[in-house]
Amino acid sequence: MTQTNYAAPADFIARSRPALMAGVVGVVLCGIGFAVAREQFYRAYLIGYLLWLGIPLGSMALLMVHHLSGGAWGVVIRRIFEASSRTLPLLAILFLPIAAGMHSLYPWTNETLVAHDHILHAKSPYLNTPFFLVRAVIYFACWIGLSTLLSKWSLAQDGGDVNAARKMQRLSGAGLVIYGLTITFAAVDWVMSLNPKWFSTIMGFLFMGGHGLIALAFTVVIATALARRAPMDHVFKPVHFHDLGKLMLAFVMLWAYFNFSQFLIIYSGNLAEEVPYYITRLSNGWQYVALGLLLLHFVLPFSMLLSRDLKRNANRLITIAVLVIVMRLVDIAFLVSPEFNSAGANLHAGEDAVSSAFVNWLDVAAPLAIGGIWVAYFLRQLGSRPLLPLREPDLAKAIAATGGH
Amino acid sequence: MADAHASDGRVRPLVIEPGHSFESVTGSISEIVLTQKPTKGWFLGLTIGFALLMGLLLAIMNLLVTGIGIWGNNVPVGWAFDIINFVWWIGIGHAGTLISAILLLFRQQWRTSINRFAEAMTLFAVACAALFPLLHTGRPWLSAFWLFPYPNTMGLWPQFRSPLIWDVFAVSTYATVSAMFWFVGLIPDLATLRDRATSPVQRTIYGALAMGWRGSAMHWQRYETAYLLLAGLSTPLVLSVHTVVSFDFSVSQLPGWHATVFPPYFVAGAIYSGFAMVLTLAIPLRKFYKLTDFITMHHIHNMAKVMLVTGLIVSYGYMNEAFFAWYSGNNFEQFMMKNRMFGPYGWAYWLLISINAGVVQLFWFRKVRDNIGLLFVLSIVVNIGMWLERFVIIVTSLHRDFLPSSWAMYYPTRWDFTMYFGTIGLFVSLLFLFIRFLPMISIFEMRTMVPEAKVHDEKLEAL
Repeated sequence: MTQTNYAAPADFIARSRPALMAGVVGVVLCGIGFAVAREQFYRAYLIGYLLWLGIPLGSMALLMVHHLSGGAWGVVIRRIFEASSRTLPLLAILFLPIAAGMHSLYPWTNETLVAHDHILHAKSPYLNTPFFLVRAVIYFACWIGLSTLLSKWSLAQDGGDVNAARKMQRLSGAGLVIYGLTITFAAVDWVMSLNPKWFSTIMGFLFMGGHGLIALAFTVVIATALARRAPMDHVFKPVHFHDLGKLMLAFVMLWAYFNFSQFLIIYSGNLAEEVPYYITRLSNGWQYVALGLLLLHFVLPFSMLLSRDLKRNANRLITIAVLVIVMRLVDIAFLVSPEFNSAGANLHAGEDAVSSAFVNWLDVAAPLAIGGIWVAYFLRQLGSRPLLPLREPDLAKAIAATGGH
Repeated sequence: MADAHASDGRVRPLVIEPGHSFESVTGSISEIVLTQKPTKGWFLGLTIGFALLMGLLLAIMNLLVTGIGIWGNNVPVGWAFDIINFVWWIGIGHAGTLISAILLLFRQQWRTSINRFAEAMTLFAVACAALFPLLHTGRPWLSAFWLFPYPNTMGLWPQFRSPLIWDVFAVSTYATVSAMFWFVGLIPDLATLRDRATSPVQRTIYGALAMGWRGSAMHWQRYETAYLLLAGLSTPLVLSVHTVVSFDFSVSQLPGWHATVFPPYFVAGAIYSGFAMVLTLAIPLRKFYKLTDFITMHHIHNMAKVMLVTGLIVSYGYMNEAFFAWYSGNNFEQFMMKNRMFGPYGWAYWLLISINAGVVQLFWFRKVRDNIGLLFVLSIVVNIGMWLERFVIIVTSLHRDFLPSSWAMYYPTRWDFTMYFGTIGLFVSLLFLFIRFLPMISIFEMRTMVPEAKVHDEKLEAL
């Protein structure tokens, strides 16, 4: 092992500048959208927000899994996970537009509608504006608390604190429980309640699976870029990418498994309160999006990731990772958009409205705006610490010639 | 104490106690089969199992002569002990497949000493499970006609849209692949037994079963390939079998059954109960057969941790069911949950919750995971909890459905119990025969764990 402090390469961190520029362009576009088509803006913003939120939350969850399970794959990318999870305070701020746009997004915020609808009235102890906001505060407090502590102790470990590893391990057990619970209710609040009459008990699992997948894909992108430069070029070995590829394959399969389970159960039950979710998504053009998801979110990445050669070759694995990130955007749009008509109004506010497949320019602008700002912030976080946990006892084993196997 | 504590306080596991060599590993595992006389304890265990098995035969005989009217099932609870026990046994089998397939693919070395008897457990559990769907037809000799799609002149086919038919395929595939996996894994050890056999009878039988294994490099190369392929085949089965079992319920429209969370929740429950059963078996086995060097505290800890994780997922499922029953705003969903909690079977629900969501929390504590006696008790408690879970899901959802005029209580009869305990007898009998006649720990895989096997080859490692 060469003696180095594993500082992040300056030229790579400097990419936060173009990222921020892209973000600013996105923000300007969103500003125009906000002025001319406010309903569209909020919907597109929700899509973009959920996409980027998946990376820090998934990274935090996988980081905790790694603290509990160990394994070489996690040691070499731990700092990427930690940098991602430290962006959660930024995402808490970026949540504000959603809170501001609640009335456009969620029909249960409409008091006259609730007063005249028995089911919405029955749900109002949970689905009401103050409690929704309080819950959001609780979620972010939990997430920021967890990620801050994990990052703090990881830094303390660099400084020579031998108890840090044990502390991170201990927190991770409880942390995963907290993550699982908060993300389940967040999924109900932010996505399921777009259609306040629909419910599906697997929603939490769908979100956790999506988070894990996009976090891995994003980490593969960053790791590949770092592997091309000193000092990480001699750290990342094919075996590390092999493990990441296997994990991605597992999450791609989980995504398909959860979605297929949900589809089959709702389709077979054919109940009036549930099946409209799929009727909307399998008609008026949305069925082609569904087919695209099946092929590009599952069949293609699944069959490519079966190849051992592809998984071990970072330059080829990154193409699958990028595909996965793009398809996560499509999948989230497919969760959100069909609940709205093409003018951006929530279908369930006007019951007889129909959603025909549509993509709005804001659906690209909003993810760009949030993504640009987020990536810039992420890169600065990544640059603020050594790229490897230098005093981690498993480090030498993880970066040995065999990659810890 | 099998775990070494590193300076940072985290645990570095030992999968085999120090001081073993190739010879001592081979000797101490194979002598149980070849030279040791069966102990009194073994005879006692087999006798109990065999007595229960006789009860099973009696119950089956009565069932075939009289009909399934000897059971307590009746409208509206048309499904009861038969499906509860089926799901319970199938679930128990899952740990074996998880240990043998998924942990192998993930290169988890700690699977090595527990995979053999866990796989045997899977096979025996599937055998017990399969009895129930066959027998609940009342005329099992017609089962082929009802369950399997075979071309016939009358153009009769089973209902392919029914998950019960998917179950037939899922379970029969599962049984076949598990049996092959187990047998393939046994071949090198059968050859070892053949070579060390002390009597011609032993030599002939183990020799025939070893299928001409000579341990040549070619044999090993093919063996490793076959084993990995079978592991790959088994991996989706860990998920698919219990997913299909969950479809038996969830594709219906009944409140309490129709829930999209069922597939992952059932799979987690299956692994949870399966690991509980592995612990129930491993703890006495390692004590009475002096295998504590091979099944170390590290194994016990890991199994307890797997139970903690899967138990928490199951608890998450209970929370989900309760929350969404309320959130649905649907009267029938809400009534189902209320009835489950405070209806006539409320005691079963709260007992289940206190076990699967309450007692499971004990596994968080290292002190509990270190306490063998307590773990043994807990593993049995967990299996009772998982049996209750199926009872609660099945009976409380059925007995009070949409129409109050058709409500009724379900009471199992003594034949229900005879049959259930009879399958436990079948399981125990098979297991005792297995540990008497086959090596319960994989000898050749354990040999790879001793220090002699750890030859460092820089060139090889660089690959």
